[in-house]
Amino acid sequence: MADVLLVDDDKRFLEATVQLLGLLGHTVTAADSVAQARELVSTHQYTHMILDLILPDGSGLHLLEALPTKNKTKITLITGHPSIKSIVKNLYGSNISYLIKPIDLQQLESLFEEKKFPASQQSSSVKLHFNNLVGESEAMQQVYKMIERVATTKANVMLLGESGVGKEMVAAAIHYASQVEGDFVAANCGAFSRELISSELFGHEKGAFTGATYRKAGVFEQANKGTLFLDEITEMPIDLQTNLLRVLETQKVTRLGATSSVDIEGRVVSATNRTELDIAEQGCLREDLYFRLAVFPIHIPPLRNRKSDIPLLVKYFLAGFNQEYDGALDISSASMQRLVDYDWPGNVRELRHVIHRAYIMADLQENLLVLPEKLSSPFSKVNPNTSSGIRVGKTVEEVERELIASTLEHFGGDKRQTADMLGISLKTLYNRLNSYGDVEL
Amino acid sequence: MDGEKNRFVHDLRNPLNTISINAELGKLTLERTGDVRKAISIFETILAECRQCSNVLEELNNTRFIRANEDDHQ
Repeated sequence: MADVLLVDDDKRFLEATVQLLGLLGHTVTAADSVAQARELVSTHQYTHMILDLILPDGSGLHLLEALPTKNKTKITLITGHPSIKSIVKNLYGSNISYLIKPIDLQQLESLFEEKKFPASQQSSSVKLHFNNLVGESEAMQQVYKMIERVATTKANVMLLGESGVGKEMVAAAIHYASQVEGDFVAANCGAFSRELISSELFGHEKGAFTGATYRKAGVFEQANKGTLFLDEITEMPIDLQTNLLRVLETQKVTRLGATSSVDIEGRVVSATNRTELDIAEQGCLREDLYFRLAVFPIHIPPLRNRKSDIPLLVKYFLAGFNQEYDGALDISSASMQRLVDYDWPGNVRELRHVIHRAYIMADLQENLLVLPEKLSSPFSKVNPNTSSGIRVGKTVEEVERELIASTLEHFGGDKRQTADMLGISLKTLYNRLNSYGDVEL
Repeated sequence: MDGEKNRFVHDLRNPLNTISINAELGKLTLERTGDVRKAISIFETILAECRQCSNVLEELNNTRFIRANEDDHQ
């Protein structure tokens, strides 16, 4: 709520407005002269200042001069006539609001309304899909289509994609598109300690365990009738997954230490950066839980597969930083090209990080971002010198042998499946293995 | 003449403003707190401001400025 300084010499107006703003939940300090107001602003920073233009000991505008530069206080002038706007605008810029007498509630309330979208994002030409997502590439259009489809259903969604592709943003987009009554609640299953995970998910009653000094609703209850986003679902200990499964099956949550359950409804959007194959092979997610959660899987493409979106994302992030730091920086076309050419192993998160860093390092004479000399992530998984895979210098026989070995390994030594996958006959496979001398017949 | 006219406009606009704010305050007070005594005192302020407006208009009616204008129109 706002912390307002109201300056007017009309005592009746002052008194009523103080009470009115108080009823609206704001804190108000009143002053009836420039001198008194000047003293108040010298010791306290208000979020809003509402000023009469003409006061007995001078003009309200004198107060503006008393404010330190870069002051964030929102200034509003009370005036009897709209024509005063244009005069003041020339003197003090357009960053001032006006209340035109006679003032009503609607006018007053409009002073405290936060704009839904930051101005710069509104003015930047980047379109936001489902209020969260940026990108017009074919790969993202597919994602949008999936979101649109699933939004009309109650199906649980599993988001699959590399680290940094924006899984939480997609989850928020699904929530936005679903237009549900409840909230969007995000929880990271990898971030909870083993002891606390049940209490975080399902809540607890006061005294349920040592340290449970108050009753707490878990994330399932918080997201009731809304969307629960469970990130890093595969990092949840496997023996605790049964509890989660039970909640999904029964749509009831029992807080730790409680005797009765609470009905819950809503969508669960889970996410993992493992592939479906990894999930199945490594056994990090119970099969029955997987089928409950991944009714509708959505694969989010890595940034390198949607390079045409990079300029849009850069523009979007840049507008955000310009807004945050009150700047007007731009990016040169050469820098943009470097960003497009890089393969972004850390995906959109890494891109945002690079833009933020370049913003801090910017050339303030040219008003341009300055990229680091070398774009690279310490977490980059791309290592061209690993022994497996194709690279110049390997013989066809070597590559073939490696391919057979890893396919065989993948199917746990099952030669028929391996032969089928490789598109060769079982006989050919045996012949090859024989020639390598490592087959047990 | 303009200076005099501006003074009248100012003298009317201020009580109207107080009426407007107090009417909003009365509405919100009844809606949010149901405090009838408080609401009554707010309505009294509104009535006092209405009388103030009426006085200004009365004064206006008796000034040369209006009569001069009327003479012009005749």
